Amino acid sequence: MSVKIEASEGGMDHNVMLGIGLVGALVCIYLVYLNTLMSVEVFAFFGGIAAIIALWWGTDSIKNLCSYGLGTGVPSAGMIALGSGVVAMLFATKLAGISPLLVPVGCVVIAAILGAILGFISDKVLNMNIPVMTRMIAELTVVGSLTMLGFTAMVAGTFSFGDLITGATSVFGVEIASYASSVIGGCVLATIFMLGAIAIQHPFNACLGPNESWDRTQMCAIECGSLSMIVIAIMSLAFLSLSAVVISFVIAIILWGWSYSELIKLSKRDAFAWLDSQPIREVGGEQ
Amino acid sequence: MSALGGGSAGGEGINPTASVIALVIVLVSLGIAFALAPATLIPLIGVIIGGVLISFGVHFVPVGGAPAAMGQAPGIATGVAMLAAGGGLAGLFGGAWAAEMGIWVALGAGAMGGGLLMAITCLMVNVVYVYAMGIPAASGKVEKDPITGDTYAGYRSQGTEGHGLPFISYVGGVIGGILAGAGGTLIYLELLSVYEEALPSVLGMTPEGMSTLAVSLAGIFAVGMFLVAAVLTAYNITGTIEGPHDPKFKRWPRAVIGSSAACAACGLVAILLVVI
Repeated sequence: MSVKIEASEGGMDHNVMLGIGLVGALVCIYLVYLNTLMSVEVFAFFGGIAAIIALWWGTDSIKNLCSYGLGTGVPSAGMIALGSGVVAMLFATKLAGISPLLVPVGCVVIAAILGAILGFISDKVLNMNIPVMTRMIAELTVVGSLTMLGFTAMVAGTFSFGDLITGATSVFGVEIASYASSVIGGCVLATIFMLGAIAIQHPFNACLGPNESWDRTQMCAIECGSLSMIVIAIMSLAFLSLSAVVISFVIAIILWGWSYSELIKLSKRDAFAWLDSQPIREVGGEQ
Repeated sequence: MSALGGGSAGGEGINPTASVIALVIVLVSLGIAFALAPATLIPLIGVIIGGVLISFGVHFVPVGGAPAAMGQAPGIATGVAMLAAGGGLAGLFGGAWAAEMGIWVALGAGAMGGGLLMAITCLMVNVVYVYAMGIPAASGKVEKDPITGDTYAGYRSQGTEGHGLPFISYVGGVIGGILAGAGGTLIYLELLSVYEEALPSVLGMTPEGMSTLAVSLAGIFAVGMFLVAAVLTAYNITGTIEGPHDPKFKRWPRAVIGSSAACAACGLVAILLVVI
């Protein structure tokens, strides 16, 4: 049995964060479905917001898990979350064949089952003996799959498997359906995978330490999520109309600018002393 | 080497009940695959063997972590997740490139890709250690190198667990890269064979159009499963290991059991994608 070391005092209860994260991310992913209902593409940005909400929750799960000695670094938890999350998420998109509304809920259920198996293996089979391990790995798998689903929905404007595998290329002005220019066929998923992984493994890794505070770590999570969202918005230029891309891009930039300035404020608050450093002035010589 | 300074948790020994449950998960996954589509049974076994190869291979890789970066412990100065991702994915890409030339050529190419990346990494790590940091290679776990017979005691600094990358760790790194690269490639090839066979009938598309789709799907699943198996192994060795001569190496059976169960569950979901 390992000893728990309290990461930070105060902050929101983890169960409340779980509720907000799960419900918020699911609602935002369902809002992307408005695209299909209204035959538009402008609601794609809700996918990115869903991913940010999931990352916000996942950062606290990583913090809970890493309060115990894992022996290996914080990023490993992010890698296992996204590695198993992508398996669950791709399978869930296939459920769109039954009903597209099943995809987000199915994604959570499949990810939770996979995550519980992985958590059981790391806790009991590998003898880690960390009390919260099964639950936190399961949560992280759900977070990883929701992040992937959210960013995929943002890049493609939809989350059903049939739409994700077909794209259109323009050859000499003629539109041709092509599997290679789709989200999955073009392996845009690999980039989304790494963008999600960076966003989930960085915040707690960057903020941990004796002076870690809850709001600064969570703000760092929002900042990392919006930074990935900016890149996803640029990538969606290949699949969505210009107006939808501009809306996603502007929202991502505003979110990132706000969260970054807040993070700097919180960092200054938590710092022992802050020195606004100036460029070094050359003294002497010609004077 | 815990993030917050707490002791590492991983205990010794095998938990028999949990191991039996893990083996039951493997058998149930195989049973579900066989019941839904008998043709996918052999690919799923291949995926599980791939996971076992990755998990066993990562135990050979000398992972030093942060202490190695400060010259206080032997090994490559980064974590398992990064090393495995580098070595294994280099192997995976090498094998994927040769996928059309048959399974044995592809597996060989994957193994060579992983081994080559680890060989170059280990060489450059030692160049940096010796010529930039000015520290000799000395193991902390054994007195004599099992292969060359060199003694380490005179080179080990006071207060450290050894430093640099000894010869046995270099050899372990290359073996680990070869095994992990072959394992990653095997997962990729097995999933590719399933998708190339099933996608045209499932989705009603022409075989020419879907080859990129099959490659992308198999590739992203292989990367995901590779990381799952590698991170579970990282948890097993609690972060750092010197190579095959390290006492922690003896923990490999439980990582192999764990990774086979994890890859069985993930592989089943990946195969069910085209079955249902």
